[in-house]
Amino acid sequence: MRIVIIGLVAALILASCGKGKKPDEQEFLNSLDSTKKGPSIDEEVINGILQQIPSPLEISVLLKQSGTKYNSSILNTPDNTSKYNSNYKKALNLGIYGTDLGYTNIYQQNQDGIKYLASIKQLADELNIGQFFDMETISKLATNSKNLDSLLLVTTQNFNSINSYLQTQGRSNLSVLLLTGGWLEAVQITCQVAGKDPKNKELKEKIGEQKIILEQIVLLFSFYKEDENMASLLTDLNGLKAAFDKINITYVHKEPTSKVVNGVLMIEDNSTTTIDVTDDDIKNITTLTNSIRNKIAS
Amino acid sequence: MKKIITIILAISFIGLGSSQLASQCNPDNFANACIPKLASGFNFLKSYKVDGEGGKDKVEYSYVFTKGTQYMINLCASGAATDGIVVSLFDSGRNKVATSKINGQFITAIAYPCNATGIYYIQYTFDGSNSKCGGSALGFKR
Repeated sequence: MRIVIIGLVAALILASCGKGKKPDEQEFLNSLDSTKKGPSIDEEVINGILQQIPSPLEISVLLKQSGTKYNSSILNTPDNTSKYNSNYKKALNLGIYGTDLGYTNIYQQNQDGIKYLASIKQLADELNIGQFFDMETISKLATNSKNLDSLLLVTTQNFNSINSYLQTQGRSNLSVLLLTGGWLEAVQITCQVAGKDPKNKELKEKIGEQKIILEQIVLLFSFYKEDENMASLLTDLNGLKAAFDKINITYVHKEPTSKVVNGVLMIEDNSTTTIDVTDDDIKNITTLTNSIRNKIAS
Repeated sequence: MKKIITIILAISFIGLGSSQLASQCNPDNFANACIPKLASGFNFLKSYKVDGEGGKDKVEYSYVFTKGTQYMINLCASGAATDGIVVSLFDSGRNKVATSKINGQFITAIAYPCNATGIYYIQYTFDGSNSKCGGSALGFKR
C-alpha cells in the first residue's frame, strides 16, 4: 500500500513539474544579460502600456502617401549588427531594424528589405527569439511586389509574437526596448523627411502627436530605473520629453454619429485634436531624436 | 490508508479537470481567424484575445489612435455571429465613441476614421454570450 501512495505522490510531483518552465525557456532566461533586475511594478501593468504603442508602419504609410520619395540614407545601415554586443543594444536595434524593414516594404524596395530581414533574423537569433521569423516564407514574399499585403501581415505578426512571447516570459524589459527602438526610428525618419519638406503641416503634426506616445514610453522606463542602461536612456528620453512638453495638444470632444453600411458600423468622428507645434519645436525634437537614435544605433 | 489514496486521487482529478476547463476557450484561433476578415485596404495591426472565462465581465485593451487614420475593429466567435460579444470604443476621456450592439443587433465590425489623436480603449463585453470566448483584429488604412 505504501508503494502505491509513494507512486501517486511521485506522479503528482512530476505532473506539477511539467507545468514549470521548459529547459529551452530557462536557457533563454539565463541568456539575457541586460536588465536582470525586475521592474518596480506588476508586469501586467507594463504589458497594458506596451500594447498602446502604435505600429511604426502607420508612419511609413503616411510618408508614402504624402508623396515622399524613398531614401535609404535615413535608415540604419543593415551592416551594423556586429556592433551590437549587449542584449540591451540588440533589442533596441531589433526595433530600429523592424521599422526600417516596414519602411522598405511600404516602398516595395525588396532588395533593401531582404538585407534588413537578414539583420533582424541575426539579432533575433542572438536574443533567442529567432524562431518567430519564418525566413523562408518572408523571403519568398519579399521577392514579389504583388505579395506586399502578405509580407506586411507576416512581418507584423512576427513582431507581435515576439512581444507577446517576451511578455509571457516575464521579460517585458526587452519588449520595452524593442518597441522604443522602433518608435525612435519612426520619429527620426519623420523628422528627416519633415526637415526637407518644412511646409508639410501634416508631418509636423505627426511629429507633435508623438508627445502622447513618448509620455507612455517614459512611464515604462521609469519602472526600470534600477537598470543602468535603461536609466541612462531614460535621462535622454526625459530631455526629449522636455522638448515635446512645449507642444500643446487640445482635445475637443463631440458626440460621434454612426450608421451601419454592409454589416459594418461606420463611425463619424466629430471630436478633434489641435496640435500646436512650431518650427523651433521640430528643430529641437529633430536634434534630440537624432542624438539618441545615433547613440543607440552606432 | 484507503482514505489517503482517495484524497490524493480526488485532488489529482480536480487538478486535471480544472486544467481541461481552462483550455476550453482558445481565443488565439478566433483572433487569427479575424485577421483575414479585415476589409480590403486595411493593414493588420493587432489581434486581441477575448476570453471571458473565470467570471470576467469585460476584457479591455488600449491603443494610440492617430488623427487622419481610419481604423477597423472586427469580432470573431463561434458561429457566424459574435455570440453575444460586444466591442465598444472609448476615447482618452472615457467617452463612448462606438459600440457594436445597435438596436439589439450585434455588428461584427466597426470602422472608425479617427479625427482626434489619443489613447483609445477597446472594450469587449458579453451580452448573453454562451462561450464568452472570441477574438478580434485591429487594422488601419489612410
